[in-house]
Amino acid sequence: MSLLQINNLNVRFGDAHAVPVVDGLDLAVDAGEILAIVGESGSGKSVTMMALMGLIDAPGRITADSLTFDGTDMLKLSGRQRRKVVGKDIAMVFQDPMTALNPSYTVGFQIEEVLRQHLGLKGKAARQRALELLKKVEIPAAESRLDAYPHQLSGGMSQRVAIAMAIAGEPKLLIADEPTTALDVTIQAQIMELLVNLQKERNMALILITHDLAVVAETARRVCVMYAGQAVEVGQVPELFDVPAHPYSEALLAAIPEHSIGAERLATLPGIVPGRYDRPDGCLLSPRCPYVQDNCRRQRPPLDPQAHSLVRCFYPLNQEVA
Amino acid sequence: MAVVLTARELTRHYEVSRGLFKGHALVRALNGVSFELEAGKTLAVVGESGCGKSTLARALTLIEEPSSGSLQIDGTEVKGASKSERKQLRRDVQMVFQSPYASLNPRQKIGDQLAEPLLINTSLSKAERREKVQKMMEQVGLRPEHYQRYPHMFSGGQRQRIALARAMMLQPKVLVADEPTSALDVSIQAQVLNLFMDLQKEFNTAYVFISHNLAVVRHVADQVLVMYLGRPAEMGPKADIYEKPLHPYTQALLSATPAIHPDPLKPKIRIAGELPNPLNPPDGCAFHKRCPYATERCGIEVPAFRQVGTRQVACHYAEQFL
Amino acid sequence: MTSPIPKSVTPASPVDQSLLYPSPYKEFWHAFAQNKGAVMGLAFMCLVVFCALFAPWVAPHDPSEQYRDFLLTPPVWLEGGTWQFILGTDELGRDLLSRLIQGARLSLLIGLSSVVMSLIPGILLGLLAGFFPNFIGPSIMRLMDVMLALPSLLLAVAIVAILGPGLINTVIAIAIVSLPSYVRLTRAAVMGELNRDYVTAARLAGASLPRLMFVTVLPNCMAPLIVQATLSFSSAILDAAALGFLGLGVQPPTPEWGTMLASARDYIERAWWVVSLPGLTILLSVLAINLMGDGLRDALDPKLKNAA
Repeated sequence: MSLLQINNLNVRFGDAHAVPVVDGLDLAVDAGEILAIVGESGSGKSVTMMALMGLIDAPGRITADSLTFDGTDMLKLSGRQRRKVVGKDIAMVFQDPMTALNPSYTVGFQIEEVLRQHLGLKGKAARQRALELLKKVEIPAAESRLDAYPHQLSGGMSQRVAIAMAIAGEPKLLIADEPTTALDVTIQAQIMELLVNLQKERNMALILITHDLAVVAETARRVCVMYAGQAVEVGQVPELFDVPAHPYSEALLAAIPEHSIGAERLATLPGIVPGRYDRPDGCLLSPRCPYVQDNCRRQRPPLDPQAHSLVRCFYPLNQEVA
Repeated sequence: MAVVLTARELTRHYEVSRGLFKGHALVRALNGVSFELEAGKTLAVVGESGCGKSTLARALTLIEEPSSGSLQIDGTEVKGASKSERKQLRRDVQMVFQSPYASLNPRQKIGDQLAEPLLINTSLSKAERREKVQKMMEQVGLRPEHYQRYPHMFSGGQRQRIALARAMMLQPKVLVADEPTSALDVSIQAQVLNLFMDLQKEFNTAYVFISHNLAVVRHVADQVLVMYLGRPAEMGPKADIYEKPLHPYTQALLSATPAIHPDPLKPKIRIAGELPNPLNPPDGCAFHKRCPYATERCGIEVPAFRQVGTRQVACHYAEQFL
Repeated sequence: MTSPIPKSVTPASPVDQSLLYPSPYKEFWHAFAQNKGAVMGLAFMCLVVFCALFAPWVAPHDPSEQYRDFLLTPPVWLEGGTWQFILGTDELGRDLLSRLIQGARLSLLIGLSSVVMSLIPGILLGLLAGFFPNFIGPSIMRLMDVMLALPSLLLAVAIVAILGPGLINTVIAIAIVSLPSYVRLTRAAVMGELNRDYVTAARLAGASLPRLMFVTVLPNCMAPLIVQATLSFSSAILDAAALGFLGLGVQPPTPEWGTMLASARDYIERAWWVVSLPGLTILLSVLAINLMGDGLRDALDPKLKNAA
């Protein structure tokens, strides 16, 4: 039984005919595994997780066949019930650490707030635990940092604090939404290593949302590629990177400068992601796909299992390769 | 090949007040950067936040005057240039900025924005200006109808094309690109980078390409300059720097950059800690507190930026990495 | 084994999103029209403007003609009212409706001219203060601080007392009093925009200072200014009414809503309509303008839109 099971998730902003930001997404995450969700802007990757956490307000509407976490149906939870789960069993780390922390309160206060809310710890016990958490995320001079304000910390430090707040409730699932995009590359390496170590140690499931394929290649076990609100390929790392089955996965990989070392030009897909005004009737990639055929433009392909992965394509690539 | 840009010991200091009773502190944002750039070539400036690359960009584009050192653009010395010389210098150096959303005037039609450099600096008639603008628009992949449109109607990638077109309207000798693709998705980045390369070939412009993304740099650069805390750490031909980095910081940067096909045999160099406070830089080599190979000498003597083989390195022990 | 990487293929003509966007005016109107209150405000103000423009033809009677036989006639829906004087007459037998319609001219004129008279110097001073933050800026702002420290109505009264009562001096007084808010707004907006990359890009293109000020930066500061101008319009009407009430503004027999209020003070008990109707007109006009201003602000603010 998966820890997280999402079936046919749809998120729309507006009425029932508005363009879906997430369009029929299926996803499953097991306990203790690292799943990466990869996509460009407009793919719906962040919105999916916000929907799971209940952070989508009106006029957003969420519909799904099922959205279960650890056996609980997330769609049916009341506000109070959801608050017990979110922040404790499911936690999230956001992209910009400078804005993820409340600038008016000290670091210690913010961590203790989480401990008070979800573990019922108060006073000295809370402070002690907060100190332990800061040490766990490898913040030097943790004792003095407890009383520091967020603006006194660097980007890397703030992100460590955000991670400490996330793991404070001993979550079963940690969602990291572009956790290192705003950080320098050496700090990024440190933070990614920290996340992976914490994940291993606590056997947490980790969902890593990113647009950086290289980070995925070094960290995740499974990867889900999203395009325009749909999952187009779900497969194992490194197989998906070695033998991509969906044309979009192939194009993403081809566009990375690493794949064009020595070449004059970078391989590109023409055009841009469909927006509000031009959503195709058929496959969402059909206006840009180099392998497009007639029936691609007319029908939407389903997400089907292929040789190595689940692929949403009528003519998946690389299927002969064992 | 003609040298179009010569920088000698460019330095920029800022005075920062530290409150009512303490004296002023000196921030050495840029501390002695020298290089030569030929027409049609690209110098990539690489480093993390606080290394001085933005300050360098501002000095090269004549927005700020350096505190000391000399800058020559196409043979003309910037310091003490006459008014007419300054006017010509203004035309010779242009810039493309990081954020595609902030670098275009939201209230001006893009056609007018593209025509503005011509309007200010040349005496072309309105029709002639319009013709040049249309030609440039076509070169960057925009359609004639786009002349009348406002920036908010374009995607991020299209805006960067417009920004690039505007910078190239006067056919400058030097183009400074400050992280031009950092805010773009991977596939859009590939399109824009291809455009950069095409225009460079067409106009034989020298590029100073500032980026923290080492994969992108590997694709576009001829020479690479690595900076740390305002000083140059290593500078040389791209192939040499990537094959065999001599400065420990360059090694760490390359090691920390995630790769799509990670090489399990390559050792991971992880440097601890963060960038030192620019108000209180360490004695001796700025990197010595984080360097895995630091000796006592590193903490006392500032290493000179000296020639080692095909490049220049600021490390006492560069030879041992050859 | 990897499949061959596809080169850049000639595209299957993906639709160009930028051509699908409506023009800025259509976008603005669409956003504005979503606010029902703003649209109602706009409708009411159109009515007022219409009355002002066509007053001589719309008004049933001459506003200054006194009907000696019909002093203090009630409005038509009360006992004793007649259809000849729909809203009744005042203490000198003049038709109230005609005077209100004629008064619209004056109120609009006062509002418009005071806004223009303070907007233009306000923008200029604000631009100077924003572009020269070292010495000129602080000097201008301290001057504005002094002006703001004085209660606006008292300042207006003082100015009119010096210059003498009358229409033009009322307008001058109101303009001076509303100057500081425009200067502050413009300066704040300018300082916010000066750091943006597009201003640096304009500098790099060689733009001269006047060009930077008026062509590059100013159009991007207009949104809060337009909203402020709309709201100043309504407070101009209120200030003119207050000055008129105090006898310092427009002098009788010129019909101006505030002056009408003043001269009818003694008749509140006997003939409430002489006081209440001008007051109600002022209230509705100010409300309409404020609703419009809110709608304008909401429609103009999300201007920095990205593509979908």
